[in-house]
Amino acid sequence: MIQLKDGKDLAEYCVEYGRGLGASYVESRFEKKYAMGLAYRNGEPISGGMAPSNGIGVRILVDGNMGFASFDGLEKETAHLAIDSAVKMAKSAKRKDPIDLGEPVSNKAKWEVPVKESLLDIDLETLMATANDLNKEMEGLASYTMVLNPYVSEKYIVTSEGSEVEGLLSFLNIFTIMSAKGKVGTEQRYVNLTQTGGWERIIDGKIVETLAREVVALKKTAEHAEKLDYLLDQPVDFIVGPEVAGIIAHENVGHPSEGDRIMGREGAQAGESFWRDLKLGESRVGSEHVNVSEDPTIPFTGGFYLYDDECVKSRNRVLIKDGIITEPLLNREFGVKFGMGTNASARSTGYNREPLIRMANTFFEPGDFSFEELVEDVKLGIYMCSFNEWNIDDRRYQSKYTGSEAYVIKNGEITETMVKAPVFETTSVGMLSAVDGVSKEKRLEFPATCGKSDPMQGIPVNAGGGQIRFRAIKLGGVG
Amino acid sequence: MTSFEDLKSYVDLAGDYSKDKIEGSIIRGSVSTGSQIRFSQNSIDIGKRWKTLKLEMFFIIEGTKTGFSERYVTSEDTVREAVDDTITFSKRLPDSQFFTGVESKISEYRDLSGNYDDKIDDFTDQAPQLVNSAIDAAVSEGAKRVAGALKFSKGQSYFLSSYGPSGSSKHTQFDLNVRAFQDELDYSGQGLDCGTKPTKSEKSMIAAGKEAGRLSKEAIGAKQGEPGTYDVVMNPTVAANVIGQLPDRANPFVVMIGMSPLGDKMGEQIGPDFITVTDNPWIPNGLRSQAYDFEGTPTRQNEIISNGVLKLFVQNTSTATMFDTETTGNSEILGMGSGVKMLLPNTTNLVFDNGDRTVEELLESSKPTIYVTSNWYMRFQNYQSGDFSTIPRDAMFLIEKGEKKPIKNLRISDNTMRMFANIDALGNDRKQIMWWEVDTPTFIPSMRIKDCRMTAATQ
Repeated sequence: MIQLKDGKDLAEYCVEYGRGLGASYVESRFEKKYAMGLAYRNGEPISGGMAPSNGIGVRILVDGNMGFASFDGLEKETAHLAIDSAVKMAKSAKRKDPIDLGEPVSNKAKWEVPVKESLLDIDLETLMATANDLNKEMEGLASYTMVLNPYVSEKYIVTSEGSEVEGLLSFLNIFTIMSAKGKVGTEQRYVNLTQTGGWERIIDGKIVETLAREVVALKKTAEHAEKLDYLLDQPVDFIVGPEVAGIIAHENVGHPSEGDRIMGREGAQAGESFWRDLKLGESRVGSEHVNVSEDPTIPFTGGFYLYDDECVKSRNRVLIKDGIITEPLLNREFGVKFGMGTNASARSTGYNREPLIRMANTFFEPGDFSFEELVEDVKLGIYMCSFNEWNIDDRRYQSKYTGSEAYVIKNGEITETMVKAPVFETTSVGMLSAVDGVSKEKRLEFPATCGKSDPMQGIPVNAGGGQIRFRAIKLGGVG
Repeated sequence: MTSFEDLKSYVDLAGDYSKDKIEGSIIRGSVSTGSQIRFSQNSIDIGKRWKTLKLEMFFIIEGTKTGFSERYVTSEDTVREAVDDTITFSKRLPDSQFFTGVESKISEYRDLSGNYDDKIDDFTDQAPQLVNSAIDAAVSEGAKRVAGALKFSKGQSYFLSSYGPSGSSKHTQFDLNVRAFQDELDYSGQGLDCGTKPTKSEKSMIAAGKEAGRLSKEAIGAKQGEPGTYDVVMNPTVAANVIGQLPDRANPFVVMIGMSPLGDKMGEQIGPDFITVTDNPWIPNGLRSQAYDFEGTPTRQNEIISNGVLKLFVQNTSTATMFDTETTGNSEILGMGSGVKMLLPNTTNLVFDNGDRTVEELLESSKPTIYVTSNWYMRFQNYQSGDFSTIPRDAMFLIEKGEKKPIKNLRISDNTMRMFANIDALGNDRKQIMWWEVDTPTFIPSMRIKDCRMTAATQ
């Protein structure tokens, strides 16, 4: 088994070697990961496996041109070949506009995801017993598939500017795909129950209880939800729960705030951003009730980190304040381009991927309302607790969220009438401008995997908010 | 540094070392070197290089108790350690309810070396210039800003099954995505190219740049589209994602986990009689062309949909036993999370029969028709019913009364089974598609689909 010290030594050697080749900046990241997992279908085991891995990724800057190379194993000869090729590829770029990373960063730090009971110490029998507990909660569904997948990753980043940052990540990935039989066909739902931390998160994160609640809601939706055409006849008020608030914060606010999108670097992949044509600190994209933040420093979240993958100390970022866009997410390169400096948004999914601007935990800040107050003056509306189908265009302007568990609100009360698949299909500005109330709650229990870039980097994040009320929304759907 | 020859000897060692400890094994060693050049705003942003080596071990401990592990190995000691770890781990796993056995026949394998680019090592030097040529081509067609990525790689692998089969193979491949923009965010176009021989693909790569530039220019002035029901013409990029994903779900495992609408459709007419789709692992230039599957079963061409009738699910040995049929040579080790992999059936290259219409002919209609040239974010409301939506991106056009006008901001909100049944005509422009939104290499022409439902933001 490769020891962390060996990896650190070689990472430091890579920095020296890259400097020797004329690179003005070298960043070397050693990562050692251990993953194991079990997969079940309808409660029966179907697969199990484990994958220890380690490797080094080196990013270099030569005459303002960027190169990146990664290799697995820890051999100097392989490192030489990889870095030689990164330098060669960088030189061949011949940019007219050299990349500038701004002021040097030289942080020395060590940070860890808070862990009481390491996932590395959990034996397979304990994991299987927990899987059985979770499977029991899903009994009675038409079909259910679950993957239980703990992994721990240690990383060490060293740069030619003097940074040395060590980090420890620990995730308990739990995914299920469930189908419940309805009057006609099935109702389906993908549920991500991922926890960040040690084994204690099974209890502290209330995994079994959350899954039980999801199963009940899915069965209820399958059995009782109906298409209600009268809701299409007129605009209705919409109240969304924390999960839907989270996906809106992530997709309609977080993604368009990414600096690399705004300036076009993701143009061919994840796309650009409607923020490009707006003015920070001036442009209004929502009502005064809309306040959205992005904070990597919150423990037990998928996006938790104290230093990013460029060794910059993390902090909260305010994306929208009182409905006005304020701060984009930035790494060092785009911090220079925006003239604002980095706000520590660089993350990668592994040693073999370049760090990119990524969200961490994106959420609506609490408002002044209780949930009851939001509901009580709705004459006709929908309370959408969860969603299934969703998508948004690559400028992050036209979005669609289709409800899963959703109830009709009538005369200030949430009724037992469930509406099948209500479609919330709007523009980002149209939607955020319709917000007239946000609850006092701040809930971040919606874990997700955020996709971006090519090769794809699926990275853990959390998202959330309280309940949010949108006034006079015309439901979307089939034209 | 571990060479491919070293790795082969490690595979043999792992097989030999494990043979008296467990019932059986399939061990695969592979090395690959990949590169990518990413660009935006007409300049190269970064050049990347990856080197990977891995030993994959699928162990049958006893009966249906199986386990999988993969890792980097550097010496005989690390191989023995990997085998011991995997056996110790796998012995504690419960029996798998999804394993009934693997291939035991030794076969001759087809020679697919014609798919290999012998000059791949020269391509690293050629690639930056080629990227710049693709950017220039887009600009010459009217683009203002060009972004994209060119990825290329080579690899070798060797496998050994304790049940008899063994073999080795090598591959090369590339994929290029060019996206061209006007100054405005709304006016863009995309061009794609992919295949196995990058050094022989200069013309098609530059053509991808031209197509992106041309479409971005044609998109200028796009107006908000009106929601409604239209005939839709999809180019190969869109068809591969929206239509190609249906035969990709002709897979018993996908059916069993509730993620396919094809579970009860075997033998039924699900599309018009001019639609035939084959899983073809031998097609020249196919990104997943292969002579044998993970178990060592020789691959074969399998007609999944024949003249519109669903004829076959891809199988491996285990699923074939479960469903009382025979393996189709489609076994692969597939990821189900970080570190969890499973022996499952998987498609190779999906090949739709080509049609006979030009795109212009497909667009000729007495009804308002929408032409979509790219899409992304296909998401299902229900995989079993096939209800989904996806967003056209880049140039989109409304063809009405003989006039072609650029439009924007519409969403396809429909049902895959309904759309497959409503395919009306096929183009004669079949090409291979694999990009961000399409994982399975799909050879598919443009197609016209009747009565598609288009929606738009309500506010």
